[in-house]
Amino acid sequence: MFIRIESSSGVPITRQILDQIRAQCANGALKPGQKLPSVRELARELTVNQNTILKVYERLCAEGLLEKRHGSGTFVAEDAPKGQLKEQQNLLKGEAERLVYRATSLGLSPGELVKMIEEIYQNPTP
Amino acid sequence: MTEAAIEIKGVTKSFRGKAVLDGVDLTVRKGEIYAFLGRNGAGKTTTIQMLLGLLDRDGGEVRVLGLDPKKDAIEIRRRVGYMAEDQTMYGWMKVSEISSFLEPFYPTWNRDLVRKYETQFELDPNQKIKNLSKGQNARLALLLALAHEPELVILDDPTLGLDPIMRKELMRDVIDHLQGAGVTVFFSSHLLYEIEPIADRVAILDGGVIVREETTDALREDVKRFILSESHFTGLPPFEGTLDIKRSENQAAVTVENQKGFTGLLKEHQVSFDRVDLNLDEIFEAYVIGRKEAGSHVPIPSLERVA
Repeated sequence: MFIRIESSSGVPITRQILDQIRAQCANGALKPGQKLPSVRELARELTVNQNTILKVYERLCAEGLLEKRHGSGTFVAEDAPKGQLKEQQNLLKGEAERLVYRATSLGLSPGELVKMIEEIYQNPTP
Repeated sequence: MTEAAIEIKGVTKSFRGKAVLDGVDLTVRKGEIYAFLGRNGAGKTTTIQMLLGLLDRDGGEVRVLGLDPKKDAIEIRRRVGYMAEDQTMYGWMKVSEISSFLEPFYPTWNRDLVRKYETQFELDPNQKIKNLSKGQNARLALLLALAHEPELVILDDPTLGLDPIMRKELMRDVIDHLQGAGVTVFFSSHLLYEIEPIADRVAILDGGVIVREETTDALREDVKRFILSESHFTGLPPFEGTLDIKRSENQAAVTVENQKGFTGLLKEHQVSFDRVDLNLDEIFEAYVIGRKEAGSHVPIPSLERVA
């Protein structure tokens, strides 16, 4: 599992890690049943407070994306796909929000942005 | 309730009539990593020296592991690990010699632990201290601060003069060896981007007082920048949590704490706005620079600033 922390970013570190694990579950880089590094290992690797990793794992367990198996560690949940689709849509929504923000700051009207997207649908770049 | 590792209440200290600490309050809970932030000269080292009984306070109360440094400095030094800012050690001693020199001062000195750290930190026991690199020097200072298995470790700007790789390794050691072992860590720094990932809570010292003490996540959640039109902004009533105001063209960038309150105010006045997340550097800047310019938490319309 590769996670990259951007410390100068406006996005809190907890959210950066959450988003990247969710994205990796969604795009298949992390597979159902796969074991995640221990809290201590990941904290060490990322040079991040152990409580932060603990919070991330607990939250993703509560969402059903990860599962804790007693005594053996944290794993990607076997029955995650339902949640994954929703997560994928949430991630896309986040990207769309940034896109809209960019378009607004460039002075594009909603109509112009929609037109741009429609053009991309008609002539997709491979 | 568990007892706090460090408690400071209303502490004051002046040097030659100039107040450096003007009523400092802070509490470090047991087991947490607590980052003590401030600009150079804000009084971080002064505070740390008081915690260890190296410097007397003028007023207020200080407790370290429940002890008063004024009375129990020796007991505190036995139970606390301390790494001074830019720590210098006897250059003519070998790595192994400084350990055996310090050992008799500490009843709980752990020789096996020293050996373990020497290996982990890649320190050669036979090397002379004067021949160590800056990074090795910092690691030796850290080793000596940890060798008596302290419950609390106080690090004064531990990464000063280290390159980015060494800084990261030192922070990694803090997480792995100290947090992993349940040790409380109190450390000062002015490098915010390296603090955020590892600190449970941060305190910002400015103008002789703690202007904010908060968990890093909550601080990020609470302090935001709002971009709105200048004319809308001027029409708003003063907002208590205003930290910084920047104006350019016909827009105002307003950084506030209690962003929920400010969002409410804007909605109430039907003002449209963009809300921007800030990193810890920007938040720190808003507290220590913006606050002064914004003036006593109240927006001053005449305060122009070209961005």
